[in-house]
Amino acid sequence: MLWTITCRRLRRNRRGVSNIIVVALSLVIILVIVSNIVLWNYEMNQVDWEKMKENVIITNVERVTGSQFTFENDGGLTVHLVSLWIINSTDHQHYDISVFVNSAETKSYLREDISLPTGGYTIKVVTERGNTAVYSGS
Amino acid sequence: MRKLSRSRRGITPVLSSLLMTVIAVAGMSIAITATYVITDGLHDNMGERLIVEDVWFTSDQVSLYLRNVGKVSVNVAAVYIDRIGQSFTALELEQGEHGWLNVTYSWSADSAYEIKVVTRRGTNVVDYYMSPS
Repeated sequence: MLWTITCRRLRRNRRGVSNIIVVALSLVIILVIVSNIVLWNYEMNQVDWEKMKENVIITNVERVTGSQFTFENDGGLTVHLVSLWIINSTDHQHYDISVFVNSAETKSYLREDISLPTGGYTIKVVTERGNTAVYSGS
Repeated sequence: MRKLSRSRRGITPVLSSLLMTVIAVAGMSIAITATYVITDGLHDNMGERLIVEDVWFTSDQVSLYLRNVGKVSVNVAAVYIDRIGQSFTALELEQGEHGWLNVTYSWSADSAYEIKVVTRRGTNVVDYYMSPS
C-alpha cells in the first residue's frame, strides 16, 4: 500500500529524483573502490600471515653420491622449497629446486649433480613464500 | 520522415535528452576509468613483495639475488648502499621470477653495509650485510 502511494507520488512529482540517482551511483563507485581494496588487502594479509607461520630447518647435509639434504618443517603449513644455495668463500652457487615438505614432516632430498665444497660452507634454502633456512657445515 | 520534416515541434526535448544521455554516459565512463586506475594502482602497491636471497661481494661489485614473491611484477628503481644511491644493472622480475642485481660499488673487507633496494612503486627491502674478510 505504502509502496503504491510512493510510486504514484513519484510519478506525479519527479523533483529531486536526479539527486537520488547521483547519490546512488556515487555510492556504487565508492563501494566498488572500498570493497576492491579491502578484499585485496585481506588477500595480502593472508600471504603475510602464511609467511609468518612457515618454519623450515635444514637438519643435516651429507656427502653421498652427490649431496643429500634433510629438511624439517616445524611450521603449520606445507612449504615449497624453490631455491638452494651452496656458499663458500669463493663461490655462491644457486640451484632451482622444487621440494614440498608437509607440516611436521622430515624429508631427505638427494642431488647427485651437486657436490659439496671442501672446507667451510653454508647451505641456504628459500621457500616460495620468501623464508630462508641456513645450515653451516665443513 | 515527411511528417518530421514538416513539423519540427518536440525536437528540442529529444535533442536535450540525447545530449544529457551522452553527457551522463561520458561522466560515468570517466568515473569508472578513474576508479579502475585508482584501485589498480593501490592493488599493485599492496601486492609487491621482494626478498633478497643472497648477497655476493665480488671485485668492485655487490651482487644481490632477488626473488619476486609478490602478486605483481617488480621493477628495481634504486639501490642504496649506506644511504648513497649506486649504479646498477636494470632488473625487472615478473611474479615468481628471480635474478641477479649487480651493483657497482668499491667495498672494504670485513665491514657491515646497509643495502636498500627500492622498487618503482616505492616498496623497499633493507638489511645489513657483512663483506668477507
